[in-house]
Amino acid sequence: MNSRRFFPWKVLAVLGLISLTLCDVSASQTDSQPPLTLTVAAYPAVDEIVKAAIPLWKRLHPEVEIKVVSRQFNDHHTAMITALSTSFYLPDVMALEVGFVGRFAQGGGLEDLALAPYTIGQFQAGYVPYAYAQATSRNGAVVAAPADIGPGTMLYRIDLLDKAGVTEAQMRQSWDSYVESGVQIKAVTGAYLIAHARDMKDIMIRTGIKPGEGLYFDKQSRVLVNTPRFVRAFELARKVRTLKLDAKVIAWSNEWSEGFKRGGIATQMSGAWLSGHMNTWLAPGTRGLWRAAQLPEQAYAAYGGTFYAIPKGAPAAHKRLAWEFIKLMTQNREVQLAAFKVQDAFPALSSSYDDPFFELPIAFLGGQKARVIWREAASHITAIDVHKQDAFADEVINTELDKVLDRGKDITTALADAQRLLQHRANR
Amino acid sequence: MRAAKFMAFRLSPELAPYLFLSPFVLLFLVFGVFPLLFSLYLAFQTWEPTSGLAAMQFVGWDNFAFALQDEWFWKSLKNTAWLALASGVPQHLVAIPLACFIHSSFGSLRNGVVGAYFMPYITSTVAIAILFSSLFSTDYGLINVVLSGLSQIPLLGGLMPQHPVDWLNDPDTIKPAIALIVFWRYVGFNVVLYLAALQTIPKDIYEAATMDGASRWQQFWFITLPSLKPMIFFGVTLSVIGGLQLFEEAFILTGGRGGSDQAGMTTAIYLYRMAFDFNDFGAASAMSWLLFIVVALLTWLTNRLFSTKESHS
Amino acid sequence: MKLLNRQTEQLSSWAAYLLVGTGALLMLAPFYFMFVFATHSRTEIFSLPPPLFIGDDFLANLEILTSRMPFWRNLGWSLYVAIASTALTLLFCSMGGYAFAMFQFRFKNMLFALVMATMLLPSFMNMIPTFMIMDMLGWIDQPRALYIPGAASAFGIFLMRQSVAATIPKDLIEAARMDGCGEFSIYLRIVLPLLRPALGTLGLITFIASWNNFIGPLIVMRTPEMYTLPLALRSLQSPVNTEWGALMTGSAIATLPLVVLFVLSSRQLISGLTTGAVK
Repeated sequence: MNSRRFFPWKVLAVLGLISLTLCDVSASQTDSQPPLTLTVAAYPAVDEIVKAAIPLWKRLHPEVEIKVVSRQFNDHHTAMITALSTSFYLPDVMALEVGFVGRFAQGGGLEDLALAPYTIGQFQAGYVPYAYAQATSRNGAVVAAPADIGPGTMLYRIDLLDKAGVTEAQMRQSWDSYVESGVQIKAVTGAYLIAHARDMKDIMIRTGIKPGEGLYFDKQSRVLVNTPRFVRAFELARKVRTLKLDAKVIAWSNEWSEGFKRGGIATQMSGAWLSGHMNTWLAPGTRGLWRAAQLPEQAYAAYGGTFYAIPKGAPAAHKRLAWEFIKLMTQNREVQLAAFKVQDAFPALSSSYDDPFFELPIAFLGGQKARVIWREAASHITAIDVHKQDAFADEVINTELDKVLDRGKDITTALADAQRLLQHRANR
Repeated sequence: MRAAKFMAFRLSPELAPYLFLSPFVLLFLVFGVFPLLFSLYLAFQTWEPTSGLAAMQFVGWDNFAFALQDEWFWKSLKNTAWLALASGVPQHLVAIPLACFIHSSFGSLRNGVVGAYFMPYITSTVAIAILFSSLFSTDYGLINVVLSGLSQIPLLGGLMPQHPVDWLNDPDTIKPAIALIVFWRYVGFNVVLYLAALQTIPKDIYEAATMDGASRWQQFWFITLPSLKPMIFFGVTLSVIGGLQLFEEAFILTGGRGGSDQAGMTTAIYLYRMAFDFNDFGAASAMSWLLFIVVALLTWLTNRLFSTKESHS
Repeated sequence: MKLLNRQTEQLSSWAAYLLVGTGALLMLAPFYFMFVFATHSRTEIFSLPPPLFIGDDFLANLEILTSRMPFWRNLGWSLYVAIASTALTLLFCSMGGYAFAMFQFRFKNMLFALVMATMLLPSFMNMIPTFMIMDMLGWIDQPRALYIPGAASAFGIFLMRQSVAATIPKDLIEAARMDGCGEFSIYLRIVLPLLRPALGTLGLITFIASWNNFIGPLIVMRTPEMYTLPLALRSLQSPVNTEWGALMTGSAIATLPLVVLFVLSSRQLISGLTTGAVK
């Protein structure tokens, strides 16, 4: 029992350690901070874009430092909700993904950039109209400035289409002809038309929205789910499933990436940024085999987008500079084009669209000048009204679609059930 | 001399517990009780968090009424109960005999074996997510390859599925898949708990029992199990609490959505989404208090179960 | 008859060894793959089947990792916080658990129920109130905000109470009191040594929990230089553009201290040290 005799010494050591740690005061605070630092909260790869723009910023404002606080995508938005809820420790500038812009706009925690001293209105013509509209809330406040957008197009495997004797024009004619082409492709090459039947529904419910309507709710919070728009989307998704045209894989899974590598998936609808990821890591081996095209049936939709906002609770003295920073990120040609070239972030600054870079061929897409197609798509997209319960509605609709696809649930019943569930929430 | 010094600072047995508890209680009041009260307060408010604290509005029992009428809340409770049982019960049924076996039968290899079983608990969840989603892959996954290999064997073949199983997209298979991962991750954790308890059973009791001619089975039943009881109570309570708050594994495997037909959506996932995706902190708080009541009730039942058993033996 | 019995016993014991061994391999497999993934590019990781053997992209991954975050500094903070958190938790919880198990005092059951109650609410529901407290205390961006609250661990109190109840006979404490031993020295000289296996368990679990905690740092840490590892590593992730290779490398390196810790603490956990004291 020797060990017992020494035990108090161990305890003393632990106590010593504790007293040491209790005075751990911030080793970081000792290095002297420059007079002014702007904090920019972001997520990948927006953080990289901001860091790349810092040298240019320092040339314009040598006295002001930029500190980038980067977090995981969900962590970032969670941290922003937490900070906004208490108004403590808000960043001077926060990057926001488009899905959160509408939500945060309703909370009223973000500065209205339309007002002085920002007056974003005078720069409106420079931005892609739909992105500007996405940042505009119902009462006319502009809560964020668009930085990059995701104009939706379709990537398709030209080799598979050729083998199956399907042309791009055939496929794009209508959603029905798209599915028919899929049958042919599957029969000849064995490749699936699409990654998941859900993708089909996702794009179709976003087309043919009447003015004043949102995706799931109208301005009076009436539920719009039991409409021909949803019926057709569900029917086509079901058709894709019954004809075994979807690979049943979820985006950003290894199965999905493997499907691209092996040529098991013939088309993918997505934002312009996807071809960049395909080239750099998802399926670099398929270089030259893909082409970009507008979506079938003249559909236009946005897949993602990044915005910058100024929280109301941020230090007032920083706000003017924060706005200068946002202007640099969103209105400076060089910054916008550099982000496009390096990170595939398609510019939201439409006045940069005359740059010769747009006309260059893209090797991954077999020399196609695809940026022209994306630019074209961007000009056609219209913003969709957002509703507080959109995220919940997404979930409900996906669930009902799953039931239709996997359990053979009747579409009318499925949509009626969704309608009922959403009604229950609409005015919460 | 030393003893005399200690005598000088002598603490009365009446005062001692308060002194021993004070550092813990101080921290606990600040960091444990305040959040508890805050969320209780929030359960009676409607609140859009991005509008700031001032935006809270009192709504009485509305959130609770809403939660009780919410189909998805009930569905999530059912899922959670299923998963807690299917992952929790096997954990202990395996961990107790396994710990005893390791305790008695592995000499110098003991640490290595325990280590192996403990590793899932410290393996990074990112690695787990990638690995399991590829293991469960329908077309190329190892699990389906093995199953189709087994279906070639004559007798066994009849029991095996004839088509590749779509593990993570089929509402019938997602739950077992999640339960399997939870079991895999925590069985070693329980083994470590039980091993620590086994260390404290004096060896001479076993020696005496062997002298009296008790078989190994009898020794396990009459000596080991009763001695392990406080730890079993601890382990089972943790499994009840952890199982009913199951979040991470299901979140990873279903990509954060909860799976097809929400078959893998646990109450904790639903709560998280209510708060941070659907921006309804009031309802999320109300639901977490309803969940709280369920867990508390079950914990109390576990307690009762163990204490009545104790009085019988 | 006796011979047959012996043979079946031997056979079944071999079967048990085989079963336990196979189980151990299955448990280890994902751990192995974590290191394999750490040495591959994200293109290779996102293939099916995933890579099965060590590749040669480790250094490339490490370079991406260190260019995107102050990785070694984050690792240092993680270590610091985990050690401090473990030391504090062991001290406070063993004292508290001992008090709950061995003493009678007012409001004991109510207090214990309240402690247990905090375990019953999902931790993300506490994010906003915790953030408010941390701001009030001025602990934002300070490591102490991570290890001090953690020391009031309901889990730790519960484990210690159960262990004291299971391992320490009341008579032993009474006898010590009779011998004129003070309350604090009873705790130091009798309770703590007897609790060693349980302290080893609690220490191990506390260290791991602190090491993997990301909700805590997410609430309080505002500077990437002050991030602990999980938060820093997660900041590589976004829905569309994740450096999987670098992320796996970071995760694999982050696991190594835990393995070392396990080896160290298993000596506490698994040793027949304490049997003598009860006699």
